[in-house]
Amino acid sequence: MTLGEFEDMMDSCVRCSKCKFIPQLVIQSKRFSSICPSIDYYNFHAYSGGGRMIVASAYHKGRVELTKEMLDVIYSCTNCGGCEVSCKWVYELEPNEAIHELRVAAVEAGAGPMPKHKKYIELVERNNNPYGEDPEKRPAWLTDDITTDESSSTLYFVGCTASYRREEIAVATAKILNSAGEDFRLMGSDEMCCGSPVFRVGDEKKAIEIMKSNIEQFKETGIEKIITSCSGCYNMLKVEYPRFVEHDIEVIHTSQMIEEFIEEEKIKLTEKVPMKVTYHDPCHLGRMAEPYVPWEGEKIEVLSQVFIYDPPKPVRRGAGGVYDAPRNVLKQIPGVELVEMERIREYSYCCGAGGGCRSAYPDFALWASNERLEEAESTDASTLVSACPFCGTNFKEGIESRKSEMDYFDLTELVLRSMGGGK
Amino acid sequence: MLEKKVYEAFTKIVGERHISQDLAVMDTYAFQWCNEIEGAQRGEEPQRFGVRPLAVVLPESTEQVQSIVKLCNEHDVTFKAFCTGMGPWAGVSDPRAIQIDLRRMNRIIEVDEKNMYAVIEPYVTNAELQSELFEFGLMHHAQGAGPQTAPLASHTSFVGPGFTSPYTGFSARNVLGVEWVLPEGEILRLGSFDHSGKWFTGDGPGISLRGIMRGWLGTYGGLGVFTKAAIRLFSWPAPKDWKWKTSGTIPDYDWDVPPYWQMYVLNFEEWEEYQKAMYELSDREVTMVATTSAPEGLAALFTNTKQDAIETIFAGLLAKTRNYIVMLVAAHTQREFDFRTKLVRLIMEKYGGNDLIAEGVTTPMPMHYGETVRNMLGGHAFRFSNCFQSTHGGMDTISMAVRLAQLNQPIKQKYIDKGVIGDDRGLGIWITSYESGHMAHMEAPTVYDPTDIESCLGYAAYQDDCNQLDLDNALGMPFFIVGDEVHNFYAKRAMNYPDWLRKIKGAFDPNGVSDPSHYVKGVEKKK
Ligand SMILES: Cc1cc2nc3c(=O)[nH]c(=O)nc-3n(C[C@H](O)[C@H](O)[C@@H](O)COP(=O)(O)OP(=O)(O)OC[C@H]3O[C@@H](n4cnc5c(N)ncnc54)[C@H](O)[C@@H]3O)c2cc1C
Ligand code: SF4
Ligand code: SF4
Repeated sequence: MTLGEFEDMMDSCVRCSKCKFIPQLVIQSKRFSSICPSIDYYNFHAYSGGGRMIVASAYHKGRVELTKEMLDVIYSCTNCGGCEVSCKWVYELEPNEAIHELRVAAVEAGAGPMPKHKKYIELVERNNNPYGEDPEKRPAWLTDDITTDESSSTLYFVGCTASYRREEIAVATAKILNSAGEDFRLMGSDEMCCGSPVFRVGDEKKAIEIMKSNIEQFKETGIEKIITSCSGCYNMLKVEYPRFVEHDIEVIHTSQMIEEFIEEEKIKLTEKVPMKVTYHDPCHLGRMAEPYVPWEGEKIEVLSQVFIYDPPKPVRRGAGGVYDAPRNVLKQIPGVELVEMERIREYSYCCGAGGGCRSAYPDFALWASNERLEEAESTDASTLVSACPFCGTNFKEGIESRKSEMDYFDLTELVLRSMGGGK
Repeated sequence: MLEKKVYEAFTKIVGERHISQDLAVMDTYAFQWCNEIEGAQRGEEPQRFGVRPLAVVLPESTEQVQSIVKLCNEHDVTFKAFCTGMGPWAGVSDPRAIQIDLRRMNRIIEVDEKNMYAVIEPYVTNAELQSELFEFGLMHHAQGAGPQTAPLASHTSFVGPGFTSPYTGFSARNVLGVEWVLPEGEILRLGSFDHSGKWFTGDGPGISLRGIMRGWLGTYGGLGVFTKAAIRLFSWPAPKDWKWKTSGTIPDYDWDVPPYWQMYVLNFEEWEEYQKAMYELSDREVTMVATTSAPEGLAALFTNTKQDAIETIFAGLLAKTRNYIVMLVAAHTQREFDFRTKLVRLIMEKYGGNDLIAEGVTTPMPMHYGETVRNMLGGHAFRFSNCFQSTHGGMDTISMAVRLAQLNQPIKQKYIDKGVIGDDRGLGIWITSYESGHMAHMEAPTVYDPTDIESCLGYAAYQDDCNQLDLDNALGMPFFIVGDEVHNFYAKRAMNYPDWLRKIKGAFDPNGVSDPSHYVKGVEKKK
């Protein structure tokens, strides 16, 4: 899609502000009524989903130019998709898609992405990861007691963050796989970034190159199934890749894999993990993980000015994310008591890290993680659990900054603990 | 652009983070739903972008608002404040205007359980306030614009009909007192606050200025800035330990319906019976909700997607639906519930009606009960085409509402036949009764396509015809009159009331800096 193809949709925004809040019916309190960390932090309407759609429209119509402030508007959005869930409660509009297209247009115009993004994109191109770490050190987390099988058609795609920053997640995932007796291989130092940080900031051309090259590598090595412990990688491989590169590789997230292992009794959660936990739905495993279903059909005017799609066009509302698997796993860990926050599932509040915000707008990203932590604390849980190394990194920083007494764990870590540390 | 020194002076008040003059940011304030209709009515090319403010400021306190207003007077800058800013009346009309976005003033200051009022700041939304009132067993009146809009905006500046209007009235009726930054920057607190520290009444102890502050229609931001409002609260008919609880996943949520609640859709073959039943149902105070729309509207009320709404229409809903009233009996106790539901049945039988829910023609799910009391049903109308606008309608007696609906039908049909507005067979209306009495609100929501010039022009012409219809048939006062021209249009038949509005405007805003846009311009404007 191009911005032009969104024109009618952008012109149809009602400026109603529903996209600043979780769907209105599920609001339980004033404190936790909002969905958009960006408008919460910056306050000008331009920083909401609807506001950004208006900015996109103004740009497309040639009313405005890409100023420094406008670029901040475009890029201080975590691309979390919350606005779109709330908007689609009523309208057929896609603010989050329009924001993405606006970023693509900003890159095409040579103004975007932001300098910090450009820098990490260079690093991705040079080192295969946005942290600029040595590719050879990618598998450095691997411990001697983990067994991999290079002939396996199942790949554990570790991702840059678990490889270099949250190694404990990589270790836990590998150990769970070993305990379940499931063969898997790694790409080791040949693993490349999934392309998420590049794609999300609108450098679609480079992102597609990465996607193609990754799929080529997977095909060459005979990969039929990919396991990922990162929501961002999951989202790319499962949801975005098929839109740009054809592949029929099965993609599953660790939470789904663990749920399956428990069901099939491949692993047993026997050790007590006595803690009250609350679970944070990562945006890219939740609402953004709902696949795009290709649709072909006709738009038919059934009543004057009222159109429907024949056959009915699937609406990507966010209901089809991975919500139950992590919760089902948590509920089966002996000793764990799961309490929910007010904003969950498709109306979960973003951790603040995504969409390139953690690198370009660190103050905002940290502030958003604090917002979410406050909600987590309000449940009286002692521990916040999620299933994404990137959310985890942002939360850990948030916990430190607010001197919170909360602990943070990835789902895989608690599972491993309940398995007695794995084999 | 504002002169550098003026911009810097505003910056000094709110801080750098809370002011902008970037054109892209400004455009998100210039863009408003229905600007295209107003443009078409003025003979301009229809578009959603209206006048761009020169700057937007985000104050956090009354003192900051006061300083901004004073500065505007000093430098001949027009200003317009808003809460959430939905609708063309929220935007500026003067090219030398700034927008005061009150988003950062968002506290619920007080809930007085005994005296049944709440004191709120501008950016508290209806859903937020409602969710904080349950623990007190209380509710407020929320305007039909939706749960995401601000009760302060409506109570101070609009008429404010809503879905619970039979029980809670309308916003204009429920404002008890305000803190008001006048157009020249003076602060005025209306009501009992300065006298007792309590806000239980909006009048006295001196003369009442409530009429000047908002009058019948409200001033749409044309007479200063309201920084606090005390609003009346009502008993919430559910046990205090009942909790607002939803489950499930979008779009089909579940909602815990309180114990003594029941919805009805009473259907009457003819308007005459409908009208009698509506009077009696209102008079007997049996229902919290009494809403009428087109049969097509009913299809949208109790479904969750456009596809479902359309399928319901084609499944035969229209053939079984005539003039109906969506009702919600919401009682505190079993005895009250039994009494009310019995009365509903008796009134229905007396006027030969039938209940479309009992007959399975329509089926509200539990979540639709929740959506009803959260004022979300109006939004469903957007599902058909992402856009509708309403005529200026009327606010008078129940029988006048019916008359308006009947007279409106052939006019609307004319534009439907031209293919420029949505086809609801001319029956698309919204009627709600008010305050368990003889009063009712009527407007004619109409689907049009904002991206199609013909449709915008068509809707604009339809609206003009409706205004003429009001005059020609003496259909009472519209609930919504925007701007000098429309006021002038009605003036002669209503004792030239706009002259008085202009005198008020001129006296309170001698420098003419409170952007009049949809209110009136003052007579003594010095500018
Ligand atoms: C789609 C749609 C449906 C609607 N349906 C209904 C309906 O069913 N019932 C109804 O009553 N209204 C309805 N309206 C009108 C709506 O109620 C008003 O626009 C407003 O009350 C909505 O709240 P808001 O927070 O968006 O107000 P805003 O848009 O923020 O403000 C509304 C007006 O009040 C002025 N204002 C707001 N706050 C202040 C302040 N603090 N000081 C001075 N002036 C202020 C603004 O300048 C503006 O003119 C509808 C509007 C739209 C766009
Ligand atoms: S994607 Fe998230 S951060 Fe961006 S505008 Fe939408 S809700 Fe806000
Ligand atoms: S994007 Fe959707 S929810 Fe947001 S203001 Fe526009 S119409 Fe409303």
